[in-house]
Amino acid sequence: MIVGTRAGLDNRIVVGGSVSTWRELPEPALPSPAAVLTARPADALAAARHHAAYGTELLLTSAARVDQAMRDELREAGFTVTGPGSGGGHTEPPVRPRPAEPGRLWLLTSGSTGRPKRVGHTLDSLTTVRGVQPARTWLCPYAPGTYAWWQVVTLSLTQPGQHLVVVDGDELDEWPALAAAHGVDAASGTPTFWRRTLHRDGAALARVPLRQLTLGGEPVDQAVLDQLREVFPAARISWIYASSEVGASIVVHDGRAGFPVEWLDRRLPGRPTLSVDGEELVITSPHHGAGLDGPVRTGDRVQVVDGRVLITGRLDSDEINVGGSKVSAGLVRGVLAAHPRVAWARVTGRRAPLLGRMVVAEVVPTAPDDPPDEAELVRWCAGRLPDHAVPRRIRLLPEIPVKETLKSDV
Amino acid sequence: MNELSRAHIRDLMSQVLANQGRVLPDDDAADLREIGFRSLDFSELALRVEDATGEELNFDAPGLRRIATVGDVLDFLETLQRQ
Repeated sequence: MIVGTRAGLDNRIVVGGSVSTWRELPEPALPSPAAVLTARPADALAAARHHAAYGTELLLTSAARVDQAMRDELREAGFTVTGPGSGGGHTEPPVRPRPAEPGRLWLLTSGSTGRPKRVGHTLDSLTTVRGVQPARTWLCPYAPGTYAWWQVVTLSLTQPGQHLVVVDGDELDEWPALAAAHGVDAASGTPTFWRRTLHRDGAALARVPLRQLTLGGEPVDQAVLDQLREVFPAARISWIYASSEVGASIVVHDGRAGFPVEWLDRRLPGRPTLSVDGEELVITSPHHGAGLDGPVRTGDRVQVVDGRVLITGRLDSDEINVGGSKVSAGLVRGVLAAHPRVAWARVTGRRAPLLGRMVVAEVVPTAPDDPPDEAELVRWCAGRLPDHAVPRRIRLLPEIPVKETLKSDV
Repeated sequence: MNELSRAHIRDLMSQVLANQGRVLPDDDAADLREIGFRSLDFSELALRVEDATGEELNFDAPGLRRIATVGDVLDFLETLQRQ
């Protein structure tokens, strides 16, 4: 489906220090099917526009995410692999050539639970914002080819007035200055991305004239929403649950973590159905990837607290068994992150005598030269959590860790 | 192995209690139940010993049930470091 892809061609694009439009991007010569491994954000945008114009089969990702084994796998699957290299790039032919599948776009999953998998989409299935939107200049900090990247890119490609300012990975820490210079008024990022920005230079962030802030890609806790609300009291602050498999399935605008329990098992035409099986979030979504229609087990753990369904983390890592009592790492992380002198927290289980595992944490203080001490944080948690959930060993880190996916794997 | 002295382990035990606003008595014969030193506290102390030595303790060693006093905790962790 290529309908609508012309509509945004005259939108402004700022990438690699240059201002242009979608229409003015250079025209790459891409085979079909092609796996395009990009090192420069401008090349990724050009490949996306090429797909929008010609419907060629495309897998787009940053070169850093693909190792030699994945390259070989892609060539075995019939892709011509094009990527950066000495001399301006190189092309490897498919091992088993096959006809292209017109209109097919492939995404690689984030691989947070193993090797990245390919999920089939189309430009149509990735375009989830269809209503007319107020004119915005969007920041795009995401790695090329990820679901979140495509969300921002399809919005700008398909709707007039949706401009784009792309941040390269090595510019990430300076994005507020770039965004302020180019009038960015809407930005989407992971909670780690927002926490890191608040932590590094909250004053620079406050100078960006944001009217829309979006969080997604990781569990969203109340603390980060409240901190952003303090900086941007009049902006719309939304969080989105989205993945390559089920697409954008939950959108919450009320400034609160989690979503209302009344949304569970609600069936509305054209809207995802959210369910819980045991402790796992199950989604039936119209925005799903190819072959993923019907209920999809997300692997994400949920807990209902005070009428809200909180997504606390991955099922295989969120639950810590402390002497037979279950602890949600996500809920403990939320308590720590709500401490006024904590900028970021990671909570894990550690092997311990008698109990099997104990809750431990790593914390980045808001003021590194005046950090809270362990006893203060333990007391903070003890006042808000049952005894067995209180982290007893809390290590201070100097900087919020972030990966290319803008996540910390908390 | 970087073995901790009994005095050092006592300091760590004192920190565990201090983090909860409690004080470790000087008397090694003090009863753990009376000072409120529970399994969570014992586990935390073991982690502190591991962090201080940089080595994992072997908790499969027998004898855990006989621990009733402050001195028992110190004896046990001293012994455990040598196994």
